[in-house]
Amino acid sequence: MLPLNMPRGLPRNAFIVLMLAPTTVLLLGVTLFPFLTALVMSFTNYSLIRPNELAWIGFENYLNLLASEEFWRSFRITVIFTTFAVSMQMVLGTAVALLLHYETRRVGWLRVIYLLPMAITPVAATFTFRMMFNPSLGVINHLFKTVGLAPQDWLGSPATALLSLLIVDTWQWTPFVMLIAVGGLAAMDDEQLEAAQMDGATFWQTLSHHVIPMLTPYLAFAMVFRSIDAFKTFDIIFVLTGGGPGTLTRTLNLLTYKHGIEFLSMGYASAIAIVMLAIAILASQVFLRRLRLLQPRAARA
Amino acid sequence: MNRFAPGPYQISRPINRRLLLQATAFITGAATLGRPTAVLAAMFDDVKDQYLNAGIDWRQAAGSKIQLAGLTHPWMETIRPLVPIFEELTGVEVEVVEQSNTEFITEMPVKLAAQNALPDVYMVWAQGQAISGGWLEPLDPYLGNASLHDAAWWDDADNFPGARSFSIWSDGVSYTRTITAEAQTLFVNSAILSENNAAIPATFEELHATAAAINSDDVSGVAMRGKATGDAVAWPAGGYVFSYGGGILGLDGAVAMDSPEAIAGVDMYARTLREGGPLGVSNYHWLEALNDFLQGATAFGCDSSNFATDISNPEKSMVSDVATFAAFPQSPSGISRPNMWHWLTGINRFSENKTGAWLFLMWATSKPTNMLGAAAGLATPRTSAWSSDAFKQALGAEAADAALANLANTDGDIMKATWFHPQAGEVLDSFAIAVNEAITEASDAETALKAAAENARRALGQ
Repeated sequence: MLPLNMPRGLPRNAFIVLMLAPTTVLLLGVTLFPFLTALVMSFTNYSLIRPNELAWIGFENYLNLLASEEFWRSFRITVIFTTFAVSMQMVLGTAVALLLHYETRRVGWLRVIYLLPMAITPVAATFTFRMMFNPSLGVINHLFKTVGLAPQDWLGSPATALLSLLIVDTWQWTPFVMLIAVGGLAAMDDEQLEAAQMDGATFWQTLSHHVIPMLTPYLAFAMVFRSIDAFKTFDIIFVLTGGGPGTLTRTLNLLTYKHGIEFLSMGYASAIAIVMLAIAILASQVFLRRLRLLQPRAARA
Repeated sequence: MNRFAPGPYQISRPINRRLLLQATAFITGAATLGRPTAVLAAMFDDVKDQYLNAGIDWRQAAGSKIQLAGLTHPWMETIRPLVPIFEELTGVEVEVVEQSNTEFITEMPVKLAAQNALPDVYMVWAQGQAISGGWLEPLDPYLGNASLHDAAWWDDADNFPGARSFSIWSDGVSYTRTITAEAQTLFVNSAILSENNAAIPATFEELHATAAAINSDDVSGVAMRGKATGDAVAWPAGGYVFSYGGGILGLDGAVAMDSPEAIAGVDMYARTLREGGPLGVSNYHWLEALNDFLQGATAFGCDSSNFATDISNPEKSMVSDVATFAAFPQSPSGISRPNMWHWLTGINRFSENKTGAWLFLMWATSKPTNMLGAAAGLATPRTSAWSSDAFKQALGAEAADAALANLANTDGDIMKATWFHPQAGEVLDSFAIAVNEAITEASDAETALKAAAENARRALGQ
């Protein structure tokens, strides 16, 4: 329905176009144009240090990429990071949301506290973690020493670097999952749960047969959003490990940064970025289609 | 030209004593806490006429404006308070833009590749990239222009030979001017050494053994860079490789990081850090290594001679009274070949005020300006500045002597073969990963370097 104060004499369609134009132009400018530029660049050998040798090379960047051990190593690291980070966040976020849902006292304050990590500027939080992980001055090793454990080289050791990144990412993004799950729980039909309880269902039976299935669409969307985001995590890794030790935490996004910003090979870096985009779109579509979440409710039933 | 006679071009408003004293006070206060103001003031009096003696028309770009861009660095700290002198001398206004290291090296290539007219003058972080990208103005036409350059006054022979060679590219063209001189130098906490009845090591083996013996939970034996990035561990590890007779790229441009000599150098570097370094050293950049030394948390440091300014400054250092400086150690064959660096400045090829930019370049790299910078503790590329009492007082005579001796032992050619390569980023990244893997024992030096060499060869098409 159009607003009542629509200018007189202006055709309905013209009004709609007029209202949508600023947002459309903005979206085209900040998403479509850079995407198309990157796409075109990915088919060239464009390098900032050899601007005069610019040439159209077709799929060569993509073929080189898919044949490179470096790409597949980064791909493996990215998949491992995304899988573990999202899994931990889904479990913890849902658990905290359930606790908050069944808790009635001071729940407002608790929600605010749980949401704080998401509200803090990521780089500021990451620098704080860098200090906390510091082997000699950090609070984590201090606590380890206090309880008689050996201090660890959290960010520099091959055994703990990825784990440290997962801890930081989970700390920061669990509240996002919690927020969506809390919303899902609030929208839930309580009558079903009450009926289950009257039939003698235990807490775990209610949870597994009623609550979780009803939350699934919400959790699925949280999972898609988090997976895409975790797949392209950059700031935490760049600040904490820079991709090291060795290349053990060099994800695809860091690989893109290396080739684009440090080696100035814009064509090759664009190809990595396009492949990342394709993987993210493909994976999320497959996931949503398997859960049939893209179909109307009636069709699913 | 008579150095004591006024030059052919007179400035309309001579540099006055008040302006010079303001700059003195500023440098003294902001950059060199505790430096004797009287020494600097006297030095200003000594040098001010030297600008006027130059056969350069300093006022030819008066009324214009230039932008100077650089990263957070002692040179920027030193030059910024001196800029009013240049503005007074030339009538050219200077806007100084300073960014963090990461911001600078990520933003500048994009800006320059887009043929942006600003900045007019900038610190050149990778000369090979900049020349290959066409981002630097060739300086030879300016050097041959009598109204822009006075060769006798500028006195290129006063620069260290290494600094002179840094300014000339392999095609024989000059694109840059050098602004600093740095060589890998050993920093020693003599108090920790005394407690452990140890002597200053002369060889890598001795450094390794002493550092490993001292290393404990409270104090580490040695703190050096270990982070797996081309701008971190590659530089100090490079000095080890050179001293063992190897190279990262050879003089012919071929990948050489998997030669037996390079493997031996990296193996020694990694073992020294692994057995003598602090926990977490594999993630150390120069800042972490320097901080450990400044706080008395390590017995040895081995990095740029420029750090002596901070180490000797009691306002910044807890070890200023016990720190000593020594020669870079020797390999088993008796060779000490520390890594070196000269920071450079150049003119943006797309600058719209190249005359103003050139005048700034001339002024900033001249003897008088270097003398003022040296008095603030900056290690400049000029021998006259290094031999001045003010510099020795600012840096410490022992540090100055050690740095000078180490500079004399450097090999600019083997260093430039890698660091000046247009694809230095890819080569150094591979090398840094290998060194880091050797430190963390993710791999042994030989395996890691052979894999890194393959990567580098693929990147360079060899």
